[in-house]
Amino acid sequence: MNRSRIAIAALLALVPSTLVAAPTREQAKESSKAAAGEQKSPPSKAVTEDILDAIAEEMNRQMTQLEIPGAPRPYHIAYKITEVEVNDVAASLGHTTSKRNRHFVNLEARVRVGNQQLDNSNFAVAQAEEIDATVAINLPLEATPRLAKRAAWLVTDAAYKEALMQLRAKLESRRAGGARAADVPSWTPAKAVVEEEQVLVPELETLDDLEARAKKLSATFRDQPHLRDSRVALTSYLERRWYLNTEGTSATDTRRASGVVLVASGQADDGQPLHQYFLRYGHTAKDLPTDKELEAESRKLIQTIAALAKAPLVGRYSGPVLFEGEGAVGLLRFTLAPHLGGTPVPEGLNPQEAKTFGGALTDKVGLRVLSPNLSIVDDPTAREGGGHALIGGYKTDDEGVAAQRVEVVKNGILKTLLLSRTPSQKGQVSNGHARRTAAGGAFHGSATNLFVIGKGGVPRATLRKKLAAQARADGLDYGLVIRRFDDAAVTSAPEFSRRELVQMIKTTDMQLPPPAVLAYRVYPNGKEELVRGVQLAELPIRAWKDVIGVSRETTTYNFLAAGESQLQLKLTGGTDDGFVPSAGIESAIVTPDLLLKEVDVLSASAGERPAPVVPKPIATK
Amino acid sequence: MRWHYPLGAAAGLLLLGCGGGQGTVKQAPPPPMPDAKLEVDLPSIPTTLEMSRSEPFERNDPSKRSPLLDIMKAENERQMAVLRTQPEPAYYLAYQLVEQRVVNLEAEGGALVTDSDDTARNLDVEVRVGSPELDNTRNLASDDNGLNGPLTRRGVVPFGEDQQAIANALWLETDRRYREAVTALGYVRQDQQTLKAQQSAPDFAPHGKEVYVEAPAKLEFDKKQWSDRLKRCSAKALRGHATRGTCSVIFQQNTAWFVNSEGSQIQLSWTNAQLAVSVGVKAEDGMSLSRLEQRFGRQPSDLPSDADIDQMIATVTKDLDALHDAPLAEPYVGPAILEGRAAGVFFHEVFGHRIEGHRQKELTSGQTFASYVGRDIAPDWLSVYDDPSITVLNGTQLNGFYRFDDEGVRAQRVPLIDHGKLVGFLMGRNPIKGFPQSNGHGRRSPGLPPVARQGNLVVEATKSVPREDLEKLLIEEIKRQNRPYGMIFTDISGGFTNTSAFAPQAFKVNPVMAYKLYPDGRKELVRGIDISGTPLVALQSIRAASREVETFNGVCGAESGWVPVSASAPSLLIERLEIEKGYIPPDRPPLLNPPAIRKEAP
Repeated sequence: MNRSRIAIAALLALVPSTLVAAPTREQAKESSKAAAGEQKSPPSKAVTEDILDAIAEEMNRQMTQLEIPGAPRPYHIAYKITEVEVNDVAASLGHTTSKRNRHFVNLEARVRVGNQQLDNSNFAVAQAEEIDATVAINLPLEATPRLAKRAAWLVTDAAYKEALMQLRAKLESRRAGGARAADVPSWTPAKAVVEEEQVLVPELETLDDLEARAKKLSATFRDQPHLRDSRVALTSYLERRWYLNTEGTSATDTRRASGVVLVASGQADDGQPLHQYFLRYGHTAKDLPTDKELEAESRKLIQTIAALAKAPLVGRYSGPVLFEGEGAVGLLRFTLAPHLGGTPVPEGLNPQEAKTFGGALTDKVGLRVLSPNLSIVDDPTAREGGGHALIGGYKTDDEGVAAQRVEVVKNGILKTLLLSRTPSQKGQVSNGHARRTAAGGAFHGSATNLFVIGKGGVPRATLRKKLAAQARADGLDYGLVIRRFDDAAVTSAPEFSRRELVQMIKTTDMQLPPPAVLAYRVYPNGKEELVRGVQLAELPIRAWKDVIGVSRETTTYNFLAAGESQLQLKLTGGTDDGFVPSAGIESAIVTPDLLLKEVDVLSASAGERPAPVVPKPIATK
Repeated sequence: MRWHYPLGAAAGLLLLGCGGGQGTVKQAPPPPMPDAKLEVDLPSIPTTLEMSRSEPFERNDPSKRSPLLDIMKAENERQMAVLRTQPEPAYYLAYQLVEQRVVNLEAEGGALVTDSDDTARNLDVEVRVGSPELDNTRNLASDDNGLNGPLTRRGVVPFGEDQQAIANALWLETDRRYREAVTALGYVRQDQQTLKAQQSAPDFAPHGKEVYVEAPAKLEFDKKQWSDRLKRCSAKALRGHATRGTCSVIFQQNTAWFVNSEGSQIQLSWTNAQLAVSVGVKAEDGMSLSRLEQRFGRQPSDLPSDADIDQMIATVTKDLDALHDAPLAEPYVGPAILEGRAAGVFFHEVFGHRIEGHRQKELTSGQTFASYVGRDIAPDWLSVYDDPSITVLNGTQLNGFYRFDDEGVRAQRVPLIDHGKLVGFLMGRNPIKGFPQSNGHGRRSPGLPPVARQGNLVVEATKSVPREDLEKLLIEEIKRQNRPYGMIFTDISGGFTNTSAFAPQAFKVNPVMAYKLYPDGRKELVRGIDISGTPLVALQSIRAASREVETFNGVCGAESGWVPVSASAPSLLIERLEIEKGYIPPDRPPLLNPPAIRKEAP
């Protein structure tokens, strides 16, 4: 029961509405300016105290009255209200291609039936994964309590009915032979959090500002005969969240991020499509590289495409690989981070599907999982790392639990995992990392601001020498350096026909990390050679025990961890508008370069096609 | 959440419709019917049709030509100079660039829920390789997933008129589409070699050069005023039994530039506006009930006044309250009246979709009318035509007006039924036997290949009676057929018609407002039914028409996307219509009563 909300609602009923109206935009602006000395976004106009009161009132009514005779009643109801405002612009060759503001408010209800020991949650109903006791609806952009109450009424009712179906299916599945340990509870208690002060963040950059910048930067790619396509996109978004539940939690939090992406594509002499990108996020545009820096990056992309066109395919390789900068980030992001979540994979999935949720480390707490020179900390409370803004931070996680800094790995030993309120072992409780949603409707423990701390770091140049030495010791002509992985959310290109897409769906191994887009052979004399088609084979988790060197330099990288696989993104990755990806969990990784002793590399020559019959048009002006 | 492959697992039945759904229906055995056909002596007074038309070339203003046409023309010529000489030569290349601004405002229960104003440019490139007799667009004998067709996607083109930026986008998309077309033709050739029955009609109808420039249209509206109006409207709409009450507008400003390798250069520009008042409720048995009233115009200023909107609200809420309390109807076969707008939708679904030319040659299509050309299919006093050039009919602006279709062909009036005889088909540039040319009906929404579609469908009768007399005729017919009651349909929300040869050539339309008319003149609203039947029988069962003609304006969805259409018809007396029980999704209304909406309502 959330008594305070009912009391407030009752009180408000007696007060003339003009006295409790939200401050106007101007008033809010003025007051926050005075308070913080910085232009902050005013509080939400869509989700006000009145709205929260109305929803809480409906929550309490539903909690006390919702019942189907003979069926279990809800024991827990939770709401997540999300208000998103995004300004997006994309431009090509100096001219806008897309420009859009999106602003919406979403109310999501989650209902639990049964009891904490065994409830409906984290179960994927066969052939009906949409039955997950989670139902969402949009709320008006203008605060209208009676509509909010009605929305809560509808979603709670629908979620309750789904919860009953889900519980029945889960019990049925367990009886039919599910091997789940019966003594692990479905849901663990957590302390109610009351954190009702709205977090004010800097205002969004305007569409016009973003547009001017995107146009200017994209003009760098003009007059480049060897490029097929190019674009620059900028985004500015904020996401306000409110959490209400029947345990008395009433918390709010706000995320704010800005991002920029540069993308260019071309074609190799043998017909292989080529693409390169540069992606950065920060809290606001101030954290992004300057125009001058971005123009320099653009020129680098242009040169890289030209160099790649003539670069050889890597060929098969098995040996030491040095992951430098964004390469190290990508390695962590795609092969280790998904396994740091401690929430059990949803019941009801087949083992192949379940793999996409990680889980390789679930039973390894207390064991050595990394090289002894590595430690890992995940810290959602950090705002900055390695001298850069980190976007993965938050105050309260998606289950209303306060964020906590967690030491995951110490000197190679797995201490704990990133946990939500759905435990994988008896006695486990949340450490405030419920972020990612998955089939079955439960929030899963996920990495946010991930710090990798390396002991015995050496200068980057020394590490390269070590790579060459190791390669020589292994009897190889060269070692391999990977500096950037592909990101399908950015580079998925509409270059495919229907038949090619079907082929891709049939033949892609979803477990593999994306191909590397920047990779080099390093020869014993230190000479580097750019190569194409570098695709890591499946990297077993034990490969992390053989990290034979780390650099002193660290790289900080922000990204959005999408719920979809790289293949899904490749097929549906929103390339129509070409915007900066703004879907997924805000995440950051801070890491040194990593030298792995042995990695298998495949040579991918996929997608080769004839060069264009008609040459690219030449500018007449 | 389950991930669906974007290509779809199976094409299944081709269902065409404008907002309808598919359901499962159990058929009830029809009661015995009298054998004799109803003979009605109708006065030779035609239906009332007053219309304004605007011919394709009116308002041609070459001084308003955009430089985009020149950039597109230059790139098209540059491409064709090379593509024509390839081992797989392209013989046709068309560019269509559409810039569309869409303003969407929607209020619910007094608050704004949608507020968007987006502008996008879309590029469609059509490359044909092979020859008009046989090209890459020929259907394969077996290609259920449509893998040989072009991939649906938005071609991105920058705004503005910069030569380098635009030409690069055109080049890129042409390169992709040419490669796709060459691959597709390879499969077509292989398929043809192994096919026994060869199709005789060619794949493409050449057309002469069209050059036309229309001045850019400008959308004009006061956003604040519209937001306020919609809020007021939706606050009023959410009353009575309604649990959902929304009022919304969609305003569009479109400019389309078309250039092809036949030399055509067309610049079109238009605005349109639509207003919708929509209310909904769940009946006690879980059936979702809704009422929608829409109005269309060229400009926001053409939309109804506040007083007229109030009238729309009164209509939808009154209807919804009545539907909420209305009983379910049972299956029935007997005489019925389709009132004007319902008759329009009925003709659009049952006849219009089947008369789209390309369906007469698709291997998987039922080709219902292919062998009926020149034969009687309806009463001799009834004619039907499609005329995209009509702007206003009986005082109503028609939504299906356009000057040129999406294949660069001028819009033409097409007689379809002339005094009861089938005389024509709606044709795009995909010819059929006996109809080698397009009549300007190849339409699409951006991203999809165009096919023949309807524009303004008009049903007219040379003999008619006043509307009130039609009801008297219905009562006579109820008595003659010895039925307990007849049916009157005043509103049909849409429906679907199956044109695939794999399933019965049946249609099903979804009436929203259906009344039983008893012999004593009493009317009773009922719900939960569909009208079903087969098109040839239905057309031959028409016995009388009213003098008054009503228009249904809307947008219609089919394989080439959503296109604006209208259908105008008199009210019709049908000797026999079959009514089936509609599908009611298994659901139940919320367990608890609504949270005090009424208490706080303004």
